[in-house]
Amino acid sequence: MADADGALVLQVVGLRKHFGGVQAVNGVDLAVSEGELRAIIGPNGAGKTTLFNLISGDLPHDSGQIYFRGEQISGLMPPELCRRGLARTFQITSIFRRLTTLENVQTALLTHHRRHHDLFRPARRLYRDEAMVLLDRVGLADQAPKPSGILAHGDQRRLELALALASEPQLLMLDEPTAGMAPRERHEIMALAAGIATDARLTIVFTEHDMDVVFAVARRITVLHQGAVLAEGTPVEVRAHPEVQRVYLGHRAKPAR
Amino acid sequence: MRAARWLVAIAVLTVLPPLLPSFLVVVMTEIAIVALFATAFNLLMGFGGMVSFGHAAYFALGAYAAAILVKQAGWPMLLGLAAAPFAAAAGALVFGFFIVRLTHTYFAMLSLAFAQIVFTVIFKWKTLTGGDDGLLNVWPPAWLKSPLAYGYFTLAVTGLAILAMHAIVDSPFGYALRAIRENPRRARFIGVNVRRHQLQAFVLSGFFSGLAGGLFAFFNGSVFPDFAYLNKSFEPLVVALLGGVQSFFGPLAGAVGFKILETYIARQWPVYWPLFLGAAVVLVVVALPQGFVGLLQRRAWRTPTAR
Repeated sequence: MADADGALVLQVVGLRKHFGGVQAVNGVDLAVSEGELRAIIGPNGAGKTTLFNLISGDLPHDSGQIYFRGEQISGLMPPELCRRGLARTFQITSIFRRLTTLENVQTALLTHHRRHHDLFRPARRLYRDEAMVLLDRVGLADQAPKPSGILAHGDQRRLELALALASEPQLLMLDEPTAGMAPRERHEIMALAAGIATDARLTIVFTEHDMDVVFAVARRITVLHQGAVLAEGTPVEVRAHPEVQRVYLGHRAKPAR
Repeated sequence: MRAARWLVAIAVLTVLPPLLPSFLVVVMTEIAIVALFATAFNLLMGFGGMVSFGHAAYFALGAYAAAILVKQAGWPMLLGLAAAPFAAAAGALVFGFFIVRLTHTYFAMLSLAFAQIVFTVIFKWKTLTGGDDGLLNVWPPAWLKSPLAYGYFTLAVTGLAILAMHAIVDSPFGYALRAIRENPRRARFIGVNVRRHQLQAFVLSGFFSGLAGGLFAFFNGSVFPDFAYLNKSFEPLVVALLGGVQSFFGPLAGAVGFKILETYIARQWPVYWPLFLGAAVVLVVVALPQGFVGLLQRRAWRTPTAR
């Protein structure tokens, strides 16, 4: 891989998945090095979310291999992948709505530290400080006692980011982290994620529809089209790529969402 | 503050029973057993989001294990009672292994199917269970035989069991269980092995249901196949709904309300009791989704409603 940052964190080889007659992911190769901030873009239906679901163990793939830090992870279930350092967020916010903001993060920390089988110790005080540090990090410290279901949409997205970070991942996969957010908020949350990634030497792979956000933070971009990689490179290279301009950027310079 | 409330509850329950007419002591004992059963059931429904339609299976396994060990194997009563929750937990482990693989309606229906199997086995295995005739004369020893003594004993055992469940709900295990209720997919992605956790909760719930069954066997002095029947499975569901499933103490409040209504209405007008109960459930589900305890507190206990 051209990116000389270090070892490969994620490598995908010839990955395929079909749903009925639709080849959603059609032979994708992908290599992401340590410390990268990689955007995966493509028109609706390009296979971005399916690719995420395959890598994160949410869906079984038909063929191909997935390596995480050099180890084959095909067929491993999400809890095992979480333990190995792979965390993700979802396009549709996925949090524990009737738990408080603090309890959300505490639960993730308790699980990460393998304490969730403990039956009789009160959990309220366990990992409370660590949870507050994480909430502070994503800007939610003052929302800690509120039920997370009543938080504003943007704050729920931030909470989900904190849930993913609680497992101290090496690879963080964000599926449209800015979905449904106002433009200013989008840049804020991406800058936040990028800052955390730099500090923690974390690798981030994210999908995104807002090209302003993508070109502002991504150092490398992979373009998916009809389930396959159409192009890959730096933002400048991708922007100049004639095929990318034709299928994607040309008629989607300022996307609606 | 919390400790003070527990102390007040203990003090009241210690002082009160001798002042009550013995008929009410019996009612109180039954309330305690129903409260234990419904609280165990609600560990799954309220905190795990799993609705079982077959919890009578574990109640009956506990009751029959205690009765069989005491009657057929000659065990002392306390040992027989101690074995009850373990027998039920073993059953819950085997049945739960299959049940937690399913969700929602299918979860409920498979749990019901297993309860019907337990009922049928009890009904048919005459040499062990007495079949339709049940097992009679399953009484506690002399020192526990008076209603007051057994009442105190039951209050102490159910009190400890409910205290243990209260700790479980508040423990890391309980946090992860509530996380699964809220969002199993997210729970998986923070590292929870969802099925395994659900099975553990199922076994714990079966354990305490079996303890309730064991206590009831000696309270009743006999055990019958209908302990495993549908009506018994719906009892904790109705009680938990009446009291409030979103609150730990909802089923306890529900048990008090249910048994008092049953005592005064079902005995006066037995024919109209199901009609009355049905109307009460409709009223609670429609107008008071947080149950009786919803009247007492605006927010559900520790798990405020999000929407």
